[in-house]
Amino acid sequence: MSEGIVTGERGLVELDRAEVAARAERDPEWLRERRLHAADVYQRTPMPTTRLEEWRYTDLRDKLDLEALEPGRPAEVADDPAAWPAGLRAAMDDDREASAHIVLIDGAVVHTDLDPALAAKGVVVESLARAVHDDDMWEDSREYLATQAVSPERGKFAALNAALFLDGVFVRVPRGVHVDLPIRVTRWVSTPGVAHLDRVLVLASEASQVTVVDEVLSDDLASHTFVSNVAEVIARDGAQVHFVQVQRLGRNAFNHTEHRTLVHRDATSDSLHVSLGATTSRLDLNTQMIGPGSRAELLGLYFGDGDQHFDHNTSQDHVAPNAFSDLLFKGALDERARAVFRGIIRVHPKAQQTDAYQTNRNLLLSEDAAANTLPNLEIEADDVKCSHGATVGQLDEDSLFYLMSRGIPEARAERLVVLGFLGEVLSRLSLGGVIEKVTREIERKLENH
Amino acid sequence: MAEWVRAAALDAVSPGTLHGVEINRARVVLANVDGEIYALQDRCSHADFPLNDGTLEGTEIECAHHGARFDVCSGRALCLPAIRPVPSYDVEIRDGEIFIHLG
Amino acid sequence: MPRNEAVQDLNLDEYKYDFVDSEKHVFRTKPGLSEEVVRQISGHKDEPEWMLDLRLKALEIYESKPMPTWGGDLSKLEETLKEIYFYVRPQDQMERSWDDVPADIKETFEKLGIPEAEQKVLAGVGAQYESEMVYHSLKKEWDDKGVIFDSIEDGLKNHPEIFRKYFGTVIPTADNKFSAMNSAVWSGGSFVYIPPGVELETPLQAYFRVNQERMGQFERTLIIAGEGSRAHYIEGCTAPVYSTESFHSGVIEIVVEKNAHFRYTTIQNWSNNMYNLVTQRALVNEGATMEWLDGNLGSKLTMKYPSCYLIGEGAHGNILSIAYAGDGQHQDTGGKVVHAAPNTTSSIVSKSISKGTGRSSYRGLLQVHEGARNARSNVECDALLIDENARTDTYPYIEINEKSAHIGHEATVSKIGDEQLFYLMSRGMDEEEAMALIVRGFIEPIAKLLPLEYAVELNRLIELEMEGSVG
Repeated sequence: MSEGIVTGERGLVELDRAEVAARAERDPEWLRERRLHAADVYQRTPMPTTRLEEWRYTDLRDKLDLEALEPGRPAEVADDPAAWPAGLRAAMDDDREASAHIVLIDGAVVHTDLDPALAAKGVVVESLARAVHDDDMWEDSREYLATQAVSPERGKFAALNAALFLDGVFVRVPRGVHVDLPIRVTRWVSTPGVAHLDRVLVLASEASQVTVVDEVLSDDLASHTFVSNVAEVIARDGAQVHFVQVQRLGRNAFNHTEHRTLVHRDATSDSLHVSLGATTSRLDLNTQMIGPGSRAELLGLYFGDGDQHFDHNTSQDHVAPNAFSDLLFKGALDERARAVFRGIIRVHPKAQQTDAYQTNRNLLLSEDAAANTLPNLEIEADDVKCSHGATVGQLDEDSLFYLMSRGIPEARAERLVVLGFLGEVLSRLSLGGVIEKVTREIERKLENH
Repeated sequence: MAEWVRAAALDAVSPGTLHGVEINRARVVLANVDGEIYALQDRCSHADFPLNDGTLEGTEIECAHHGARFDVCSGRALCLPAIRPVPSYDVEIRDGEIFIHLG
Repeated sequence: MPRNEAVQDLNLDEYKYDFVDSEKHVFRTKPGLSEEVVRQISGHKDEPEWMLDLRLKALEIYESKPMPTWGGDLSKLEETLKEIYFYVRPQDQMERSWDDVPADIKETFEKLGIPEAEQKVLAGVGAQYESEMVYHSLKKEWDDKGVIFDSIEDGLKNHPEIFRKYFGTVIPTADNKFSAMNSAVWSGGSFVYIPPGVELETPLQAYFRVNQERMGQFERTLIIAGEGSRAHYIEGCTAPVYSTESFHSGVIEIVVEKNAHFRYTTIQNWSNNMYNLVTQRALVNEGATMEWLDGNLGSKLTMKYPSCYLIGEGAHGNILSIAYAGDGQHQDTGGKVVHAAPNTTSSIVSKSISKGTGRSSYRGLLQVHEGARNARSNVECDALLIDENARTDTYPYIEINEKSAHIGHEATVSKIGDEQLFYLMSRGMDEEEAMALIVRGFIEPIAKLLPLEYAVELNRLIELEMEGSVG
């Protein structure tokens, strides 16, 4: 990778083509082309302002300072847990059974391991930076990277990521192969004042099964830091993909995750996005039901305190008929935290027999917390069942009273009610390790309440 | 931590006009009413649009975007669609420079 | 209630009001909007200086604002507006009693089948022919109570202090492009003042229609419901079908004082070439209740979101909306409630039907300010899709800044159930009848709150629309 810094005086506000090319000089031709194309798109895409519907409640002028940032450089960190930051080690220690591990520090892969039995079956779990050089690893799937799912044209941040991503995770599961234990991705951010950009590409072939658990975390960062992650997930006919992302970054991080799943005929996609950390966290989540009989469950959980700002922008696109999607996003806001939820269900004219649902529930735990929720529907087929619901409220008095009348002190009763509220989302998952971690983090936040 | 910060030169704001400035990531609108300078947060309490796009009539600022009006001294909302007041700042003129108390 | 025979004879397959009176007008401005037109309007109405100034300033603001890019398709509107006559005055004087109304105008009203020809039911009628109040009469009883129900022009002339105090404070000129346009060229509409403590049992009604090709309608209504008063205002309008676009942009401002109760009902059935862009807003004070009943059945495109700003403790806002979008129609409607005081409550119920290539969109705002303790609000949007190509959208904005608020929003979309249809048909109905019945049941919760003649008209129209929906 080039040592050069791809910034002039204006940080990442502008991208210089020559410098993007220089930074990618060791990439294969095809990838360099895509990066340059992405840089062009980035240049001509205006920065989103609050005048844009999707960014109406998140003023980037207050929250993101691209001028002050430069893209990250690969960390020279050994593949040795002893050399890793304590926080990262602790996160890895919590991991239970896994079929593979892949660890990234500051956007670059420092460790991978994969169950040899699975490798023998053709399963690939590899650093993206390494994988792009190995044509055999890709077979026909090379054209998926930054093209069909999350192309640069999808938005300014998608373009930035495609142009500058340092490294990432490539997962490919061959036809009919079931990967029973989760693939654990752990992304640690240590360098402040920098933009860390990485990507994930998951290709689940026909009738395959795979679970990915992606954790992104850091200590509190000394200065404003940008973390960009793009996940592209392709679930081919009959495949089953489960994807969990837990964001536990520290203060001063601005996290942007763009996650898009294409669900083919009779395939299933279940995802859970947990937002607990970072000062500002934005999720653009889209699921395309492109094959008949496809199913998707989109779960979300968030707990904000301090001055945190969470912005979840989700869309369920029903392109094919007979598909089912169900979204449930629940969050609690404490202190001066604010959450924005925008969710749209779009049913195309030919998508008859669609069943699509969406629910967003917000719990306000303090005077200064706030929630904006915009559940949207655009329905162009008539033989459908669609509904959405959204609520904002405070702790249910009845539940509190019930617990207190059983001798439980008020503070603890409150914690139990909040855990119960958020627990509904977690109970739809069956990943023990994740549930525990997330629950612990929520409890920690509640202790400060 | 509140402090006095220089916002603009006095002659940057002519009488009867509004002037928007950004200081330490805070956006402030300065108004000159007959020689007197007032300072409000440059954000309409209705939908967060910049007040400095609007007009000053006497002691009232009218937001250009939806017609909400505010009292320039107190920041009080005078008509719909605004309801909440806009924060106001203390102003001091020192040697032809406008200083406002940001905190 | 006897229906007018002329109406019964009309062939209901065609648009019921598709006819044109021979045009008799005293004065109209040239097409398009300009300073000259605005000055002419103000001059003709003999207005005070401050109102002319307001109109001229509004024209500037109108010109500076861009056409909205959200909501319906307004791409052709700019061109259309260049050809519209912004002001026409048919008569020189307001009439006082029904007998004095000129015969041809009465004929128009008869063709419309206006039930209020029955003096008993009717309390006072302000009717608008073209752009001005032609007919105005107020029952003596209400005169005695001090109720003012004037044309908006007379409101300005006869009650200048109240008028100036409230005009433009609920919906300021610059609120949006069309409130600015209305503020520049408003003509016709009602000025209503209900004194404190007065309760009116019979509703105030107003009809008006657009009867000239390329005519615009810019009614401006200002209603002040005094402390503790109770009243109901009904507005229904209709227009004949023309080949070129017509345009209607009204502004309705309502101030509901402490503990008052006010309901504003509209059944809009404009012909399918009409753009109907209306700004309606009520300021609701302590302990008061405001109810909007909004029925949108006609027009090519309606964009209308009746609003309640709950600024006093214990205020309540209720919005009930029915929208019907048939072939080529787009109803972009809903409501807005802003909770800005403690213990306020609100409810929005929206029922929409989309048929053929129709599109109905719910657009709403539910906003709770910090400090609006215990705000309670519920929003329910239900959409019924009749055909394959029909479309429905839901775009609610929910902004909650108060911890103790309890907010719920639900929306459902469905089509007419096969089982339901089958059951009704097995009881002897044909498919069209069965569908009409189901649709009537769907809108019943709102329809039952309408005065009888409206409910009848509404059901009639639904039947009409359901005809031809099968096959």
